[in-house]
Amino acid sequence: MASRVMNVAFAPPPDQTWTRVSPLLARMRRTVVIALGIPVVAGVAVGLSFAWDTAGPIVGIIGALLLVWAWFAIGRNFRSWGYVERADDMVVTHGAMFKKLTVVPYGRMQLVDVKAGPIARSFGLVSVKLHTAAATTDAQVRGLTADHAGALRDRLTALGEAHAAGL
Amino acid sequence: MPPDSDQKTGDSSPALADETFRLHPLTPIALGGRVLGILIVITALGFAERGASGGASPNWIQVAIFGGLALLVVVRGIITVAVTSYHLLGGELRIDSGLLQKQSKRIRLDRVQSVDVLEPLSARIFGLAEVKVTTAGSERAAVRLRYLTLPVAQSLRADLLGRSTGAGEGAVEAPERLLITVPHGRLVGSVLLEMVSWRLLLLALGPALTVIGQQNGHKATTGIGIAIFVWFAVLIAHAIWQRVNSLWEFTVTESPDGLRVRHGLLSTTRQTVPPGKVQAILIHQPMSWRPFGWVQVRMNVAGYGRADSSKRTTLIPVTDRAFAESLVGWMLGGIDLHDIPLTRPPRRAAFRAPLWWRAEWAGADDRVFVARHGLLSRTIDVVPHQRTQSLRLSAGPWERAFGLASVHLDSTPGPVRTRAAHRDASEARQMLDRQIDRARMARQIGTQQSAPAPQVS
Repeated sequence: MASRVMNVAFAPPPDQTWTRVSPLLARMRRTVVIALGIPVVAGVAVGLSFAWDTAGPIVGIIGALLLVWAWFAIGRNFRSWGYVERADDMVVTHGAMFKKLTVVPYGRMQLVDVKAGPIARSFGLVSVKLHTAAATTDAQVRGLTADHAGALRDRLTALGEAHAAGL
Repeated sequence: MPPDSDQKTGDSSPALADETFRLHPLTPIALGGRVLGILIVITALGFAERGASGGASPNWIQVAIFGGLALLVVVRGIITVAVTSYHLLGGELRIDSGLLQKQSKRIRLDRVQSVDVLEPLSARIFGLAEVKVTTAGSERAAVRLRYLTLPVAQSLRADLLGRSTGAGEGAVEAPERLLITVPHGRLVGSVLLEMVSWRLLLLALGPALTVIGQQNGHKATTGIGIAIFVWFAVLIAHAIWQRVNSLWEFTVTESPDGLRVRHGLLSTTRQTVPPGKVQAILIHQPMSWRPFGWVQVRMNVAGYGRADSSKRTTLIPVTDRAFAESLVGWMLGGIDLHDIPLTRPPRRAAFRAPLWWRAEWAGADDRVFVARHGLLSRTIDVVPHQRTQSLRLSAGPWERAFGLASVHLDSTPGPVRTRAAHRDASEARQMLDRQIDRARMARQIGTQQSAPAPQVS
């Protein structure tokens, strides 16, 4: 019952569906986790096995379980990213464990920030963040391909200027 | 009004729209105030010591070093005054500064959020004051004109505010109507209560240790107990003194420029909050004030940052609840905070916030959104619909397990954070959708205040 209520609460606006982000986001994160996780787990296992004989397999099992959980958590998180562009505002949602949904009116948008770290860039992904005069606005979309992001930013900037409301 | 004649003027004849002026000649001393003060004190102490121990000749090396430092400070100030000039050109304030690297800053006066006149102690001694211009955006970009004589600073502030609201140049300081002055006794009493309250436990720690030490004959514990007590007492006394010094004779007046706030004992601060710049207001009652019915009023102002001290976001440090509510109601366009229908979270919110869920209320009418929270210390947050920035719905794992979610109304940085916490999730989403509609409609309509502000009788 709780999950049904949650689905209603975090549903897209009526008659619309979430625009999803690129699956490359999940692939990128999984790649990073595997690339870093396996050596770390192996290292810890080997290191501890000098102190306790059974440490190796135990750490290995725990590490493997963590990696498997991370794999699925990344998948859940990726599926939670979404956005909808409406007539007067933009609705953005993300988060699997800590769900968030933010509505930013175009008239309140002061800045559209497009950023990409080195790893994201190598997968061709960027993130778009909307800023208002409030520091607590948490409206971002991650895992957009560069051309989608560019088009989105241009649309948002034009809409922001058109709707501009003073403070 | 053209600047006073006791100032050096750059341009000989100010044109109708242009004014040029420089800082007051005594500025270098006032700027270096603190440093010079410390040097003088150390030197004086040194002389006193020597005088007491038999009049040996002064330590010339020390005098020379201090004299050199003082000279450097003053020379730096003189250079700053000599190279800095301010120009008022039509709708713009231009500041030229810099000796080697010339710098020219321009500020559009219609982007000005507020203009304050501050009198730090080192300037007040000479009758000087500072004019601080805050523009839309960050507080860090505020421009400070240090120092001008007090009458000039005040007329400059009126001028800048007049130009920023398009009321015409050279506006005379507009008449004001007194709303409230906080009585001295009430201020001191309220600060004592609020500062000491739970810190009483810290103060009790020292004596407790002392008693234990004495009973067991442990000299060290006794000593530590006394030391701890003295240390905490000094810290708390210092904090109380700073608070009282800063909020002394807190006065709020109403003028066509907006609300004017004045306070301070040794250093006085003046602040003008233009109408429409107030983004959100809260009324807060600390636990220790409940028997007296006192509250404090604080606000979010556009242009003030998180780093801003609590001094600038305080509208009234202590007053009666009735007056605070009527003043806040008036500021928001003539509403009655008690008329607004409020709702509580469902019973199962008790799993998420056991005792506190009962104190969470939220609701809205056609002009503002109101949220109450707090069991021991109580707070009412109010955000006008047209000042809503963005809206957020959030649900952590614990909330999700019980089908709950919280609605947050985002506002500019400041003490007010408005939220409807731990509501039924679908209800929360409906609340958010309705609030978005109200905010959109409110942005399209303006609001006007017609009734006069309430005054403390």
